[in-house]
Amino acid sequence: MRYSKKDEDADQAIFKVDRTSVFQEARLFNTSPISPRRCRILLTKITYLLHTGERFPTSEATSLFFGITKLFQHRDAALRQMVYLVIKELADTAEDVIMVTSSVMKDVAGSGGRGAGEQEVYRANAIRALCRIIDGTTVQAIERLLKTAIVDKTPSVSSAALVSSYHLLPTARDVVRRWANETQEAVLSGSKSSAFSLGFGSSSSTPQGSGMTQYHAIGLLYQMRAHDRMALVKMVQQFSSGNVKNPAAVVMLVRLAAKLADEDPGLRKPMYTLLDGWLRHKAEMVNFEAAKAICELRDVTDAEVAPAIHALQLYLTSPRAVAKFTAIRILHNFASIRPAAVNVCNIDIETLISNTNRSIATFAITTLLKTGNEGSVDRLMGKTSAIMADITDEFKITIVEAIRTLCLKFPSKQAGMLSFLSGILRDEGGYEFKRAVVESMFDLIKFVPESKEEALAHLCEFIEDCEFTKLAVRILHLLGIEGPKTSQPTKYIRYIYNRVVLENAVVRAAAVTALAKFGVASKDGKIDPEVKKSVVVLLTRCLDDPDDEARDRAALNLRLIQEEEGGGVAERFIKNESTFSLPIFEHQLVMYVTGDQSTFDTPFDISSIPIVTRAEADAEDRSLKLRSTTMPTLRAPTTPGAPRPSASPSTAEAATSTAAAAQRYAQQLATVPELKPYGPLLKSSRDVELTEAETEYVVTAIKHIFKDHLVLQFNVKNTLTDTILEDVSMVATPADPEDEEQALGLEEDFIIPVPKLATQEVGTIYVSFKRTGEEPNYAITTFANVLKFTSKEIDPSTGEPEDQGFEDEYQVEDLELTGGDYVIPSFAGSFGNVWEQVGAAGSEVTETFSLGTGVKGIQEACEALAQSLSLQPLEGSDVVANTATHNLKLFGKTISGGRVVAQIKMAYSSKTGVALKITARAEEEGVAEMVVGSVA
Amino acid sequence: MSGFFRRIYDWLLRMFWATEMDVTMIGLQNAGKTSLLRVLAGGEFTYDSIPTVGFNMKRVQKGHVTLKCWDLGGQPRFRSMWERYCRGVSAIVFIVDSADTSSLPIAKDELHSLLQKPMLNGIPLLVLGNKSDLPDKISVDELIEAMDLKDITNREVSCYAISAKEETNLDAVLQWLIGRAKK
Repeated sequence: MRYSKKDEDADQAIFKVDRTSVFQEARLFNTSPISPRRCRILLTKITYLLHTGERFPTSEATSLFFGITKLFQHRDAALRQMVYLVIKELADTAEDVIMVTSSVMKDVAGSGGRGAGEQEVYRANAIRALCRIIDGTTVQAIERLLKTAIVDKTPSVSSAALVSSYHLLPTARDVVRRWANETQEAVLSGSKSSAFSLGFGSSSSTPQGSGMTQYHAIGLLYQMRAHDRMALVKMVQQFSSGNVKNPAAVVMLVRLAAKLADEDPGLRKPMYTLLDGWLRHKAEMVNFEAAKAICELRDVTDAEVAPAIHALQLYLTSPRAVAKFTAIRILHNFASIRPAAVNVCNIDIETLISNTNRSIATFAITTLLKTGNEGSVDRLMGKTSAIMADITDEFKITIVEAIRTLCLKFPSKQAGMLSFLSGILRDEGGYEFKRAVVESMFDLIKFVPESKEEALAHLCEFIEDCEFTKLAVRILHLLGIEGPKTSQPTKYIRYIYNRVVLENAVVRAAAVTALAKFGVASKDGKIDPEVKKSVVVLLTRCLDDPDDEARDRAALNLRLIQEEEGGGVAERFIKNESTFSLPIFEHQLVMYVTGDQSTFDTPFDISSIPIVTRAEADAEDRSLKLRSTTMPTLRAPTTPGAPRPSASPSTAEAATSTAAAAQRYAQQLATVPELKPYGPLLKSSRDVELTEAETEYVVTAIKHIFKDHLVLQFNVKNTLTDTILEDVSMVATPADPEDEEQALGLEEDFIIPVPKLATQEVGTIYVSFKRTGEEPNYAITTFANVLKFTSKEIDPSTGEPEDQGFEDEYQVEDLELTGGDYVIPSFAGSFGNVWEQVGAAGSEVTETFSLGTGVKGIQEACEALAQSLSLQPLEGSDVVANTATHNLKLFGKTISGGRVVAQIKMAYSSKTGVALKITARAEEEGVAEMVVGSVA
Repeated sequence: MSGFFRRIYDWLLRMFWATEMDVTMIGLQNAGKTSLLRVLAGGEFTYDSIPTVGFNMKRVQKGHVTLKCWDLGGQPRFRSMWERYCRGVSAIVFIVDSADTSSLPIAKDELHSLLQKPMLNGIPLLVLGNKSDLPDKISVDELIEAMDLKDITNREVSCYAISAKEETNLDAVLQWLIGRAKK
């Protein structure tokens, strides 16, 4: 009786334990004799507290810990296990945890004798605790113990030793690496024990045969050899031959093989063969992992990916939901990159749309939306709207996002998608879902100009009955910006004014601001007096609004509208079309607040922040959106520990970093007094490496373009350990123009050398040229660069350089000045419009090129072209839908503001590589030729 | 059910016959604490024992008395933790290498600073001069002198010369310890 009662008490205590009372109770550990039962309950409470996020302060943790060490006197196995668990948890907070080392080691050693059977139970726990309390200096003392434990025949002990070694690796790399042989043995014996127990069933003496040891051992081996690629290759090949039975271990091998194939193109073929073999492994998880790895191979060819897709296709019809889900998820991810390859599964995927598991159905639809070509989009939309009604908001959002990407990809299909979006906008749904839909429509308006009027009409209708204030406000703002530019602005005024009459204060205030924008909007340069008059009337009525904010806004806007003749105040305040360049703004602010005290003496100068137009901001925004939405929305985690280096930084990232880099260069150049008179910096190129990274002198160059000057910045690093360089300068000689008639238009102005360059120091040399030719002078040439310096050896005894040095020269690679250096990528809403406008005003040049087989595929060519031409891809043409042919549309402005458009038609075949035909149009004379010329 | 009887049996045993007592063994490194404990527990003497990292715990059965011996590491980093294990024990055993006269002053300082701790007032102290088999060892009287044992008041203090290797005088040690148990 007493027994059960005590139990009840204990159970209750577990649920209302607090730190102080547990700490008080810990006196129990010091009593003699020890009651294992009560101690265990108390230990459980401590673990409970630790796992619910409670933290013991160091002093309390330490005294708890020392109390617990007293429990080593009792042999009870369950108590000892509990002791180890708590020691492991306390090891980080308590001090002097090293104190238990000897006692733990005794348990690890498993000395046999009395209680050996019991000891087996907690040996694994002891090992795991041991690696937490040990520090780097004492690892050697436990080396022998762990080595024996690794090859122990009990799987739990062996696993614990392997995992502990894994954790010890960062602290004591050299010691742990000596255990490679034992680890290797553990992999192989792991397979034996599993084979044994499979063969003999329950009669086997080995406790279990899961072979999990193999997984741990392979993980450890990988960590040991992570830096030695050849060893990894050997390991993968050795273990792939069938002696690894545990599926988790094989999955690990699959990931390793994929990583190797990714890092070294030479290994791709053998690794692919292995991956292909694993597609037919008997464990499902291995098949999936192999298929995923193949799909994620860089530039995978259709032939390579076909077996993986086929394997996944079989799983699509599997009766098990989890298999279906995994298969469709991998296909979904792959469809984002290569929709064409997934096409073959479309029939199977379509049957999954009606699957009762909504996760599967959603993935099926989004995959189909990705793989679909322009033709099938409408049909899919129909199917999608059919199931839209009975899925939850989260899934709806996923679908809406997929459709949004689709809109940007196939602008011509906008009508169907718009009606779909407006349809679901009318459905029931929560805020997040509605927001996703509204955002998609915003994007349509921004990037697909043809859809603007209709989308605006749908949004107007939506706010008539919109329960979400936040959305209503955003839509009103958008109406204010876009409405006046449409053919019939008056139409929207009615909708907006309705809000003023019917809605709450926040929406009313937003509506007032939107109305005001119509009042000052000018069309074709003049303001429609009728519109202005009615807006004034409406705003006057708003002056009676019960809400302060709405009233204030109305009054302010009325005043601005009426004073408009007096200057551009209204222009600036109501129709603000430009915004600060946010990355630079952020950078400046960070610089300001992290500077020393003295910077606060002067207020922050906001005028130093460049202002970008809405169009430019949109350009960045759009590329960001395309990138983020082509990424799968429910992303699968990538291989842990081995993040795949992405093929190229996304354009959006590049855009922000270029902006920030330009800002940095501008600051850097501003510190050079000689460059002051040159005026503002117009364009800086990216870093060009002129040497290999491991030569004696590492040189990189950056080209800066000013209004009348060109400045070459050479960053020189001296990597010689015992030499200093003095008077380092760079002789940059432009190549002679081919025909003598044409002057190059570059005159050397001056060189700013580096007086002294010690070991591992980086110095900056500026070489300035005057751009002399007629306007616009876009000199294109190649600079031959010779580094000149006096090198002095350092006397090793004194550390001082010797007095006498000798002059030396060092030839570095040539630096090319191309057309791209004069062009800045910029954004335009509609490529067609600019193309026609520029074509009418300027010149056109067409030429064809072949990029050869060095370029793998059109996607790579697109990225390279956009970069070398320094032009912005428009209308999503940087995302390649078809691997055989593609049409890239590019736009930019020269440093003097002339527009440049280029259209590149590309064709790809595996034999000849990428062939392209580029047509460039430019407003300025000679620029089109220059742009075309810089492709070669 | 069997667990239940087992508990009752254990309890009876504890109640009427068995006495348990805690003993802490301290001393500088390489004084022979771990070796002595091993021999006391009935094991073989070993020449190449490794330094104790932290502590070892062993039970020594003598008649109906169970000695729970806490053998603490003697390296400087562990000395600050001696006190924790000395609180509330039945006896403190301080072991000195009687053949290493150079370490005696340090041993004396460590011992006296430990005994200053108010928590340890009144706990009996046994000082053992180990390695008495070695030729250049010092005698018990010299040891008492060197360790300033006469200065220690308000507790029972004894000092023996022993050899863990030759097992000399070990019975006296056990007898002394068991003598402290009746408290």
